[in-house]
Amino acid sequence: MSLSEVKLNAQAVIKEINIADTKIKIRLMELGLNIGTKIVVKNKSIMKKTMLVVFNATCFTLKDNLAKEIVVNYA
Amino acid sequence: MRKILIIGNPNVGKSTLYNSLTKSSEHTGNLHGVTVEEKHKVVKYNDEEIDFYDLPGLYSLNSFSFEEEIARDIILKNNAEKIMLVDANSLRKNLYLCLQFLELNIDFKIYINNYDYFKKYKNNLNIEKLENKLNIKCQIINVKKIKINDLDLKISEKHNNFIDFQKNSINLCNYLSKYIKIIKNKYNIDEKTIILALNGVFKDLNKEQIDFIKSLYPDLIFDRYRVIDDVLQDVMTIQKNFVYGLNRADKIILKPVVMTVGFLLCFFASIYLIFFLIGPLIGDGLSYLVNFLLINPFMNFLYSVSSNIWLIEFFSNGVFSSVLTVLSFLPQVCLLFIFLTLLEDSGLISRMAYVFDDFLSIFGLNGKAIYIMLLGLGCNTVSTLATRNMNEKNLRIKTVLLNPYISCMARLPVYVVIASAFFGAKAYFVVTGLYLVGLLVALIVGYVLNKTILRTENNSFILEFAPLRSVDIKHVLNVGKENAIDMMKRIFFIVLGVGVIVWILSHTMFNLSYTSTITDSILFYLADKISFIFAPIGLNSAGIVSALIVGIMAKELLVSTFSISNNVSSIGALITSLSISTSVVHFNLASAISFLVFTLLYCPCVSNLAIIKKEIGTFYMWFAIISQFTIAYLLSFIIYNSIVNSFFYAIIVVMAIVLILSLVIYLIKKIRSKKIACMFCSKNCKK
Repeated sequence: MSLSEVKLNAQAVIKEINIADTKIKIRLMELGLNIGTKIVVKNKSIMKKTMLVVFNATCFTLKDNLAKEIVVNYA
Repeated sequence: MRKILIIGNPNVGKSTLYNSLTKSSEHTGNLHGVTVEEKHKVVKYNDEEIDFYDLPGLYSLNSFSFEEEIARDIILKNNAEKIMLVDANSLRKNLYLCLQFLELNIDFKIYINNYDYFKKYKNNLNIEKLENKLNIKCQIINVKKIKINDLDLKISEKHNNFIDFQKNSINLCNYLSKYIKIIKNKYNIDEKTIILALNGVFKDLNKEQIDFIKSLYPDLIFDRYRVIDDVLQDVMTIQKNFVYGLNRADKIILKPVVMTVGFLLCFFASIYLIFFLIGPLIGDGLSYLVNFLLINPFMNFLYSVSSNIWLIEFFSNGVFSSVLTVLSFLPQVCLLFIFLTLLEDSGLISRMAYVFDDFLSIFGLNGKAIYIMLLGLGCNTVSTLATRNMNEKNLRIKTVLLNPYISCMARLPVYVVIASAFFGAKAYFVVTGLYLVGLLVALIVGYVLNKTILRTENNSFILEFAPLRSVDIKHVLNVGKENAIDMMKRIFFIVLGVGVIVWILSHTMFNLSYTSTITDSILFYLADKISFIFAPIGLNSAGIVSALIVGIMAKELLVSTFSISNNVSSIGALITSLSISTSVVHFNLASAISFLVFTLLYCPCVSNLAIIKKEIGTFYMWFAIISQFTIAYLLSFIIYNSIVNSFFYAIIVVMAIVLILSLVIYLIKKIRSKKIACMFCSKNCKK
């Protein structure tokens, strides 16, 4: 399942990061988003194109087009 | 002289630390990417001078945006001592940059900020253990209260051994050897080049080598975080549900309806309070005080010692009237900056960026554009620079190009004066309407650019959420004071300087003799010659045209030029004079609205043009000038002709002009593409 399908406030674990744009993928990894990282979707915007995610106790915005390319399992 | 660089992730408090250490008042805010260029200041410390540098924030040496590139280059090219400021609440992420420094064997000290907030949520951090594990000196500080004497700034013996690639004494970076070996097995590259490349700095490497090294990054990042987790395992305990950045209030604030309605209400209420209630009261008081204490005594003195009309006119109209009309708006400017600082410091801007990101995506922008637009309400030049925190090139160019459509502070005096002259009690609605027109045009321009020449290829919008904070009133008032000083400088150097030139040009004839009849002057003669261009939009008066020309220098000059032309020295007198047909500068209702719209859109000021040229190049600077003038002209044409002729006529003419312009652009493109094709043809090409 992709990160964009995860229910709000449910904890998920990153399984794969398939983001095609290497620069963005690397940046997300540098921010601490990696395989095995626990992630929670805290909020989704009105058009559900942007979401608020929390990982490593820090909150970030993330676009849905990127979240679709992140494979997760529920923790 | 010692140089100390203040380095760290975005929004950890670097600029606040810099301000505390150097007693400066650089722009700070509770937001990612407030600092976009380096600043430095020399301070005395124990009989020696230290040059402190405040750098833009960066998450990694592998730069992602232009501001990170600036910081990275200064760090690597500068043989200076380094202070790493980290936030206790996001230490894991902050240590990533520290680890990269250790890989390059850069010596630095760690200062930990925001520890109170961290402790408040019952989290724990053992500083001694952290020091031992990293083998780096660590100190907890509060950047708002710190004084230079509180910091351990003893000179480090190691800092000169910059990037010598000796192994770290506690072997934290052992994982590097694996990658060095892999790369050396494939390519003949020295160790120094490899380690730099593993940190995003590629020197003397070809594309294949760079691509190969980049392909190792995911594993390398994983290894770096494994080391960081090992370090933090015994050092830090965080409560299970602790989240830095989100607050309970966010459940309400982040609802789009609450945010949109709340922001619009706050904004329009602030405009009303600032420009139509509190601001004018203070402004009138200030004008009275300046008149009473400075201008009247000086003019009385002048009358007593000289009877030279030229001299008296020069001071009363050339010097004082231009200054006084702009000075009246000083309180309004300060109050608006205070409003913007309240938004910035509270952490609301990152929330607005998130909530409005979807909406802005329709126009090819992203949430970060909200911050740029809000800054643009203050000064378009500052907001143009702030686009450096955008990582995508087209997105950045687009944001720079639509930024001047956002009404800056300098345009406000002219809005208030003309709206008060022609709309009386409804002036407030006209001014807020102009803000909305500016925003609407900016969004339409963004949309068109996104669909044509500046398509956003990768709209990633990754933004760290800033925590909600109570606002430091002292800091907010300080911002108001700083902006007052800044505007005073602008008044004295630009408004006064150009105002004097305008006065001289508007009171001098071609034979260089003085004239009290402005219509005989050089300025009006020249303005009259080109005023026919503005006839279709109802602005074919030499007085208005000369103000528009002068306004390109700085928009504050529009009002001061009006007051010189109409020979008045107070806002009240200027407002009255603008509707009198015998005044040099006068309007009717149609031309007043046309002028307001034209002023809102017609051209960035000179300082903004210089920054646009520097940031995105000469081509786009000319693009900004031509496109803005065209849009301003066409919109003013529609408005003016809708009032004096008919809307149908105005639309037909504008559509015809747009059609002709599109055809010309299409033909130019065709011709250019043919020329480019010929450049690649063989010598025998006969095209």
